[in-house]
Amino acid sequence: MTRTETAKPWAESRLPFLGTWRRGLAAPVLSRDAPYLGTLPVLITATLVFMTLSGLVLWVYYQPWHAYGSISFIERDVNSGWLIHGFHATGTTMIFGAVFLALFRALLLGEYRAPGELVWFLSLGQLILLMLVGYLGYLMTGGAVAFWSLAQGSGAAMALTGFPGAIGAWIFGGADGAATLGRFAVFHVALALALFGILALFFAARRALAVPGVPRNAVGFHPYYTAQYFAAFVIYALIFAVLVFFLPQLGENPLNQAAGSPLLLPVGLAPPWYLLAVGAIAHVGPGALGAIVAVLAGFAVLFALPWLDRSTPAAPTGGLYRLLIVVLALDVVALSLAAAAAPSTLADVLTGLFTLYYFLHFLVLTPAVTAWRAG
Amino acid sequence: MAESGVQTIAHDEAKRRDFLKILAVATGGLGVAALAWPFIDALNPDRAAQGVAYKIVDVGGIAENTGITVIWGGLPIFIRKLTAKQTADNEFVVPDTLPDPATFRDRVKPGYESFAVLVGLNTGIPCEVLGNDPSDARGPYDGWLCPCDGSVYDPVGRVRGGPAKKNLAIPRFTFLNDTQIQFG
Repeated sequence: MTRTETAKPWAESRLPFLGTWRRGLAAPVLSRDAPYLGTLPVLITATLVFMTLSGLVLWVYYQPWHAYGSISFIERDVNSGWLIHGFHATGTTMIFGAVFLALFRALLLGEYRAPGELVWFLSLGQLILLMLVGYLGYLMTGGAVAFWSLAQGSGAAMALTGFPGAIGAWIFGGADGAATLGRFAVFHVALALALFGILALFFAARRALAVPGVPRNAVGFHPYYTAQYFAAFVIYALIFAVLVFFLPQLGENPLNQAAGSPLLLPVGLAPPWYLLAVGAIAHVGPGALGAIVAVLAGFAVLFALPWLDRSTPAAPTGGLYRLLIVVLALDVVALSLAAAAAPSTLADVLTGLFTLYYFLHFLVLTPAVTAWRAG
Repeated sequence: MAESGVQTIAHDEAKRRDFLKILAVATGGLGVAALAWPFIDALNPDRAAQGVAYKIVDVGGIAENTGITVIWGGLPIFIRKLTAKQTADNEFVVPDTLPDPATFRDRVKPGYESFAVLVGLNTGIPCEVLGNDPSDARGPYDGWLCPCDGSVYDPVGRVRGGPAKKNLAIPRFTFLNDTQIQFG
């Protein structure tokens, strides 16, 4: 009789579900080869919880009518405000890093193929919501770049007519910056909470993909996978801490540190790093409607991927396709860098070329290569 | 013999594992506490709010028989320097004869008996009392008078007549020196 065995029945006899949980967690039903990167969705969820907590604290002091001033107040006057703001800003970088990595992995391993399409769609939905939340949060800073991005966005939306114009007017609520930021603060929170719903659906759909039955040499979740999650979490938290304390403004446009002003137009309006590629694709489309169509097309090809991929389960895609996925990732990185560079003719040409390759990859190369491999 | 040897090893390993478990949980607990602190501390009042909460007021410039009004804790605070006659008249009033019994010493700080520091709100109907300015109507005790319901207070804020039943409230404060008082 060990100490733990005698101690457990006290709580379990009074709360029987504890025993069910303990036996369920320790039941050897899982295969032992789950990769470390498989922990990414859980890390994304944990980051989202952390962002919610730090966001709640920021919400106490944030005033959309004095956006830039209230953030300066948080940075300078609120106890540990600089740290909470740093947590929120760096959390954005971490969560986008994890989401991009998870999507890259899903592309590389072909996890979007049937029966995994729904999990793939939910991952993309997660990315789109996260980008919206990130974009709104970036506008809420009220810095010079955010101010002018908002002014251009709302101005373009106001200029639209008919149904798109009505939608634009509803979202921005007029071209006035302060009224707009007040509603964006609400949208920012509401969409962030909606992300939890998407994540719940994602986990449910992913669980349904699991092969039924108990694998050979099965292990229990505890302690085998709790240890794996713990190790993954420690590495993730370490990167997070280094970024918070040494590079708190990583990937932000330095011009956004200046206060937004109608009389001070920054050179170029490069968004934070996680929006650079989308911003570049939007920039390629002519006019406001062209930009919207270009961004929608950019996401549509990702959604269409399960059908653009012609490979059969019998003849899986090989090294060439994986090489193409790596090239695609490099193309998106190059697109982001071109968008981050100071505005010039060369940057515009490169942006156009890299956008062209992005669509070429999905609409031509993917069907061609996978069909060729499938014979 | 062999069996007991196996048991000893198992027992040692269990002890080692227990130790590692306690160490890991304790370190993790410390980390969580260190992480939680900025979140808790961010909701504490900041330095500016604390500065207002512990306001320091200069009372050296107050002329005898006049008073100043400062705002502290969202309340109008009256600081009035009493004359020798006002102090002498009220110093030995028998508390039991008053509606809200209080001695003179209860109402002032020892060594600074000439300063009346009071919340300037009538204790009957809520209304700011008069009496800081010598030209104000101060009532029969040369103290404070409520212009709304006519309650009468003596110079140290004890109620002497009218609908009010309680003495004027006294804020938390201390004399830092002869010329400065600190609230809070």
